[in-house]
Amino acid sequence: MGETLRARERPWSLGVVMARRATRDGAVRTLVFAVVFGLYAWLQAFGYRGAYPSLADRLAFAGAFAHNDALRLFYGYPYDVVTVGGYCAWRVGGTLSIAAAVFGVMSAVRALRAEEDAGRAELVLAGAVRRSHYFLAAVLSVLLGALALGAGELGGYLAGGLALGPSMYAALATALVVPVFAGLGALASQLAPTRRGALALSLGGVGTFWLARMVADTWAPAAWLRTITPLGWAESMRPFAGSRADFALPSLALSGLTLLGAGVVARTRDVGVGLAAPRDRARSHRGWLGGPTRQYVLVARGSLAAWATGFGVFAFVLGMVSTSISSAGVSPELRRQLQSLGLGSVFTPGGYLAFVFVVFIVALTYFVSAQMAAARQEEADQALETLLAQPVDRRRWLLGRQLVAALGSLGLAGEVGLLAWLGAATRGANVSLGQMLEAGANTLPTAILFLGLASLLYALVPRASSAVSYALASVAFLWYVVGSLLHVPRWLVDATPYVHVGYVPAEAFRPVPAFVMLGAGLLTGVAATLCLARRDLLSA
Amino acid sequence: MSTPDADAPIATTGLTKRYGATVALDSLDLSVRAGEVYGYLGPNGAGKTTTIRLLLGLHRASAGQARLFGLDAFADALSAHRRVAYVAGEPYLWPSLSAEDTLRYLGRLHGSIDVAYRDQLVRRFELDVAKKVRSLSKGNRQKVQLVAALATRADLLLLDEPTAGLDPLMEMEFRACVQEARERGQTVFLSSHILSEVEALCDRVGILRRGRLVEEGTLAEMRHLAAVSVEVTFAGPAPMIPALAGVTASSVGPNAARFEVHGPVGPLIAALGGHEIVSLTSREPSLEEIFLNQYDDETRRRDG
Repeated sequence: MGETLRARERPWSLGVVMARRATRDGAVRTLVFAVVFGLYAWLQAFGYRGAYPSLADRLAFAGAFAHNDALRLFYGYPYDVVTVGGYCAWRVGGTLSIAAAVFGVMSAVRALRAEEDAGRAELVLAGAVRRSHYFLAAVLSVLLGALALGAGELGGYLAGGLALGPSMYAALATALVVPVFAGLGALASQLAPTRRGALALSLGGVGTFWLARMVADTWAPAAWLRTITPLGWAESMRPFAGSRADFALPSLALSGLTLLGAGVVARTRDVGVGLAAPRDRARSHRGWLGGPTRQYVLVARGSLAAWATGFGVFAFVLGMVSTSISSAGVSPELRRQLQSLGLGSVFTPGGYLAFVFVVFIVALTYFVSAQMAAARQEEADQALETLLAQPVDRRRWLLGRQLVAALGSLGLAGEVGLLAWLGAATRGANVSLGQMLEAGANTLPTAILFLGLASLLYALVPRASSAVSYALASVAFLWYVVGSLLHVPRWLVDATPYVHVGYVPAEAFRPVPAFVMLGAGLLTGVAATLCLARRDLLSA
Repeated sequence: MSTPDADAPIATTGLTKRYGATVALDSLDLSVRAGEVYGYLGPNGAGKTTTIRLLLGLHRASAGQARLFGLDAFADALSAHRRVAYVAGEPYLWPSLSAEDTLRYLGRLHGSIDVAYRDQLVRRFELDVAKKVRSLSKGNRQKVQLVAALATRADLLLLDEPTAGLDPLMEMEFRACVQEARERGQTVFLSSHILSEVEALCDRVGILRRGRLVEEGTLAEMRHLAAVSVEVTFAGPAPMIPALAGVTASSVGPNAARFEVHGPVGPLIAALGGHEIVSLTSREPSLEEIFLNQYDDETRRRDG
């Protein structure tokens, strides 16, 4: 009662209560992101210092990479890679700003559109709560998340031995990406009638801005594009490399504008619906209703198409930039060191493509994790209960989902092989279609292994399965990137499957590890179906 | 409790479900006969939905057995489900499908469907099948489930709060459908909070309390659980009636009194014999009164 009276006296205190609730709702995701940010920042600082101890090593490294478009594609423009800080700004800032963008849209959509989708916003707004306070509370929770991410990255830099002031600036450069993309997510949440729609819109925005940064970083005539993408602004703040704090201004301005715009719309529109009128009628899809697997493909066709588009565009761009690779000026010693970083064969178009296809393996592990997460969501939403009350075998149901994930992976693997070859061919690179299809196929065993693991996690620990699957996929890759730099026992380095994947086509396909991974994936997949058949269905 | 019949549409023996330390269902012995409409009553959290999930093999029993038509509800779920149709209390469907595609999908999964009857049901429930499930109200989504289940003409209908969200007119339509199902020889297991609905439809009723089946029988058999209400209007002021065992008196006006009678009414009639009576009405307890009486007793016992 006392709290109620206080709230009545100071309406803003209700906002604090709501912000606290929203922050708690996203606490696990925020914590995971912050820890990953911290670990990544620390590992890069630690690894670089170990791999390039002298100035000569670093100059050689810079000589080889300063003009390397293919690496800029991933990490952004390197302003100074002869210092630990400058290297971290490039490798850490370039990558984490994309993760921060994804965090921003996911957090905003979660706090705004998902709450409306679930009907909770209606419940809260039926109380003595102003819409503006409700909106501000959601925004505040996202900003607190941005602070947590910045703190994680800062902690990583400090643990890696970097100075406090520049580290704070570098963390700020990354954290500022969050409100910009939260603004995008907030606007999409006003527009789209569903959480899925809002996520698709805003993640499309992240992809577009990333693509703009990639083009700006790899094609000199289009360098101006860096000035119109928030990811370019973060890069242009140049942490540890001649700071340009003025590039924080466009981020701040765009964050303010988009959040203000979204707030104004949120105050006036109908609660529970988006500005874009939803289509309330659907044409019949008779041919897709023959069974649960076909029906899933029908309802998931939009997201499957989005995966295919993302893979395709990225593969084509990678193919195009593969010709910019050159080994000029790279010493044998540097080659050896690059080998220890997992970058040993990147100096030919084929070698480069073989190396970057590791990225597609990572993406495929996320793809299969997403497919199992969708299966879990169907159970959490209790639609699976409706389904399994019919004469539908739950083992066959899961098998169907696994089949979609496996065939989807196969299709994506073929697609990236084909489009990377096409991209390379347009620039006259000396790689054959057969080689690139083989490189695509080489991504499959790891994907199947992770599909099996994600399935088993789903069957055994359904409520935690999505988060654990994504975490497992991320940790496996991160360990591959940094494990060899940490002077830990070999068997520990070998624990990640990535170590056992051959760089096809630069290297020969490694059949034994591939078949072991395929076998393990199949076994765990079958075990998952058996485990699912024995457990209770669990709602959210 | 009824004696379980091995081939009955529903037969459970010692059926128990525990979720950690919570006992959701405790040694349930239940038998539902072919062709009957069985009402399953209980307050929130009594274990009604748990029972249905165990019968459908969606959850696994901690102890005991559940059988549908003699088939193990968990191990032989697939075979059992060919003879069962289910309506959940909350209509969890696929938002992006139209109602028409949902009906078609569920029909194809079930394997047998009376298409003419389905079309008739769509008309009777005034369902707009072109709309996406996402844009349907809760009541309309519930209609989709009902139409899909009823159109299967399944031997056993498992209905968990099937009229939640339906307006009174549609609720009457639902009752008509259940009557039709009964006339066709289908068995209906109806879990409901709406006591008037159960009273109107069910041949037998089971009352569940804290996971245990505490009463079961026909409505007539259960009348003894609550008092018969006798209301008397006298020609003059209501007289003092001597205390009678099992009879509670209360005044309902200067000339009228109400007597709640547990047991035979003969002693009360004899006691009223010497007084001039203008009118006398007697009313048997409704299911609601029986149900509330059960829970009042429970509350009184708990409060000591």
